[in-house]
Amino acid sequence: MPSTRQPQLCLILMFLALIGSVPLLQAALELAAGARPQALEVFRQKPTAPNLRRYEHDLTEASRVAGWLRPWAQYVLFAGLGDGGGKTLVGRAGWLFYKPGVQGLTDRPAHGSHTVEEAAAAIVDFRDQLQARGLRLLIVPAPNKESIYPEYVTRRAAGLGAVPGAGTRALLQQLAAAGVEVADLFALFAAGKTNATAPLYLAQDSHWSPAGVELAAQLVARRITGRGWLQTGTTAYLCRPAPIERVGDLLDMLQLPRTLTRETVPCRQVVRADDGAPYRDEPGAEVLVLGDSFLRIYATDEPGAAGFSAHLARELKQPVLSLINDGGGATLVRQELCRRPQLLAGKKVVIWEFVERDLRLATEGWPRVSLPPPAHP
Amino acid sequence: MRVMYALSVVLLTGACSDLARSPAHAGADAQVQTLGTVEVTARLVEVPEGAIFKRDLYDYATILKYEVVTVHRGALKQGAVIYVGQYNPWKPRAAAADRKAPNLGGNARQFHAGRLQRLALATPLDDFFMGGLVDKYFGRRAGPAYWAVWTNDAD
Amino acid sequence: MVFTTHIFLFYFLPLFLLVYFSLPARWRNLWITLASYVFYGWWEPWFVTLMLFTTLLDFIWGRVITRTGATPGQRRAAVAACVVTNLGLLGFFKYYMFAATTLNQLLAAVGVGTFHIWQVVLPIGISFYTFHSLTYILDLYRGHATPARSFTDFSAFVALFPDLVAGPIIRYKTLAAQLAARETTVARFASGVSIFVLGFAKKILLANPAGDVADAVFGAEGPLVLEAWVGVLAYAFQIYFDFCGYSDMAVGLGRMLGFEFLKNFDAPYRAESITELWRRWHISLSTVLRDYLYLPLGGNRLGPVRTYGNLLVVMLLGGLWHGAKWNFLAWGAYHGLWLAVERWRGKQSLCPALPRPARIGLTFVLVLFSWVLFRAENLTAAAHYFGALLGLTTPGAAAPLLAASLYTPHHLLVLAVCAWLVFQPVQAHDWVQQPLTWNRVAALAPLFLAALAAMFAQSFNPFLYFQF
Repeated sequence: MPSTRQPQLCLILMFLALIGSVPLLQAALELAAGARPQALEVFRQKPTAPNLRRYEHDLTEASRVAGWLRPWAQYVLFAGLGDGGGKTLVGRAGWLFYKPGVQGLTDRPAHGSHTVEEAAAAIVDFRDQLQARGLRLLIVPAPNKESIYPEYVTRRAAGLGAVPGAGTRALLQQLAAAGVEVADLFALFAAGKTNATAPLYLAQDSHWSPAGVELAAQLVARRITGRGWLQTGTTAYLCRPAPIERVGDLLDMLQLPRTLTRETVPCRQVVRADDGAPYRDEPGAEVLVLGDSFLRIYATDEPGAAGFSAHLARELKQPVLSLINDGGGATLVRQELCRRPQLLAGKKVVIWEFVERDLRLATEGWPRVSLPPPAHP
Repeated sequence: MRVMYALSVVLLTGACSDLARSPAHAGADAQVQTLGTVEVTARLVEVPEGAIFKRDLYDYATILKYEVVTVHRGALKQGAVIYVGQYNPWKPRAAAADRKAPNLGGNARQFHAGRLQRLALATPLDDFFMGGLVDKYFGRRAGPAYWAVWTNDAD
Repeated sequence: MVFTTHIFLFYFLPLFLLVYFSLPARWRNLWITLASYVFYGWWEPWFVTLMLFTTLLDFIWGRVITRTGATPGQRRAAVAACVVTNLGLLGFFKYYMFAATTLNQLLAAVGVGTFHIWQVVLPIGISFYTFHSLTYILDLYRGHATPARSFTDFSAFVALFPDLVAGPIIRYKTLAAQLAARETTVARFASGVSIFVLGFAKKILLANPAGDVADAVFGAEGPLVLEAWVGVLAYAFQIYFDFCGYSDMAVGLGRMLGFEFLKNFDAPYRAESITELWRRWHISLSTVLRDYLYLPLGGNRLGPVRTYGNLLVVMLLGGLWHGAKWNFLAWGAYHGLWLAVERWRGKQSLCPALPRPARIGLTFVLVLFSWVLFRAENLTAAAHYFGALLGLTTPGAAAPLLAASLYTPHHLLVLAVCAWLVFQPVQAHDWVQQPLTWNRVAALAPLFLAALAAMFAQSFNPFLYFQF
């Protein structure tokens, strides 16, 4: 029988080398960078459960070896096994989806969750506060990508049409019952996706495409003018092609070691008809647009002047003012408005956009936010 | 085995020498002493639940509550409670700066309640940062919020 | 601390091993105790004081029971006091809130005022280390074991970090000699590394991805029939590879230190009956329940009806041991009933005339139904899930979207590997008994690396059995 001692020693040495080299390498790199080794932080705090959790978390996050290996492990899982990790869901035809958003559609509502009621109450309260100042409010929930394009999530969802979440449907019903004005992009996009020449959402990103932006802006403009809240202005704008190449946020979240592909996005930049200058917000505008990254995309991001506000201004023939808070469409943007109430001066209409997934995942939830009392002249 | 013992001794010595630095100069460097308009050594009073975590999609500043221990520059008073916006506080300060919030830095790596940090601050925050702000003290705090330009550990 | 974390693998374990093998043999049990307290206190430092308190108490009761000149009455009183203390603490921490909530519901139902319920935090692993201590006391009382040489030895036995929080449940008598003297050889250490790596890979590469599938389906609002079956299948794989993986890692760590723990799983899904399943699943718990509960209740010596009753009682308590939920009671009752039915049929499979693969398949399906009770949030959710399995519920509007989360190449590969592995006759525990060859090293090394890389890519995912 052949000796097994050498394989045994080899296995032991490999195991000990692996588990021993990681902390030593980490400490060496930290010392070389002139920093105190992270591992010693445990001696600088009281050994309470929260401190220990945080220490462990920090130690894991700071690990160089984990940092090197994680993207490659993620790459193998994604490219080889179609697994997008905890945040990205790999759909069909190269489309990616935000996994928590898809789970929002399929999961049971959490037991005892009152998010819909809280959101409706916060919206009605905000509408009432604006009304007291003589301002009109239009709510614009931006549909999740998966609600509009379930057939790109999985072949088995072909034929479903659009599937707004149960919470979204409940919220729209409650807002309608409370008399809140809502621009229903769900119905618009569900009908529009079959007619549109380009998809209304980006394949590798959780946000809408330029086609989606323009469709939404048209509906909102029609609603505002149709209700007589605002007269169409006199500033003429034109569109000029401004295609960009973009790494989608969903691809970015995979944290791969290198970018696999960039998506070509056929943006249309809004420019003034008279001098060709790209669209710019106007602080004195009559319309204030509050919202999240659905407003930011193509506006402050590349190519600029091609986002929702720019196209809304083009439809309204007058500039608007935007207050954008990435991922904070539910609450952070209202809090920011509280800090900067002067933005409401001279406004007639407030448009409040937030993304559908904020019903479950809103940063800071859906508290009521009280605007400061209006300043008297 | 001896190598590992030797390395342990080196690590502990490094930690002890670091801890033995003079408190008056702790955390001082050229940036913290020149950037912003206020420079303090302050203790992080608390990190509210859910205030700091790795965010997937977006970049936020988070308001943190500090108690001033020493005033090096500016008109603050010792013992004052101040609210400071830290940009993407889940990142080490040396890696926090980006296009939306340039020129940030420092050697602080994490934010833990009780930690002493030397901060170069600018105020008011809204003049320096226009992005998302997570403010767990919203509606409960008075006075201006400061913007942390440079943050060094000072304990 | 969790075995599959950065802190354990790269800090605790290397430091522990470094000190352990640097110390003379007589100090090693003390080091095991101290390190185990750090390991345990990592969740919540005050848990250590509770463990230290019960350890000290049990050590003293042990001395009282074995004291020269102790009368049978004194010994009985001591063992009763010890059992009451241990089970009282376990009962308080584990069942107080359940009992109080249930009582409040009953009071509210009959219109009587309710009372305030304290929020009690359940110390991790209390079910396991309480059972460790109880086996010591009961074995001393029965004369099956001799008292621990020293408090250090006893505290090392109770706190021994490899099996502390999720078993296997080890009896003092099986470890007593090893606590006094044990030998660490290259072969034993290598065997420990081998089984540790296999357990680690089971948890990271199989149990966690299978758990993602199970979580998605059990959390869904009205899954379709196929998805409901895939979900419960995935949970069956998750709980097996999670728990068996933990046991393998515990056995592996024990071997690295020179201990030999008994096998806790023996290809349970190859069982041809529920009776056989319980000889193969969580063997250390089954044998403890048999020796310390079923047999004292009379076992099968008091006639068929009493035997069926005993089986039911044991399984009900076994279910309750897993946690204070009606689900676990229902799960225990389900298994108890099948055990009784099989006992009535002469410990036979339900359909002995069927070929063996069909008998195994039938048993597996019965086990799948039991996992629905075990995994569902509550009994109502379990009922809904049974409805989904049988196509009796209305699927949610977005139910087809669930397929995208489930049928990824990664998940399908994992489920296929799980399905293949669980029906193999040779399991990890047996595999490492064979000589370690270069081919095996060549298989284990990349497996460990792959599992490490996957661990870095996964979020924190503790072992299922920690909650019990």
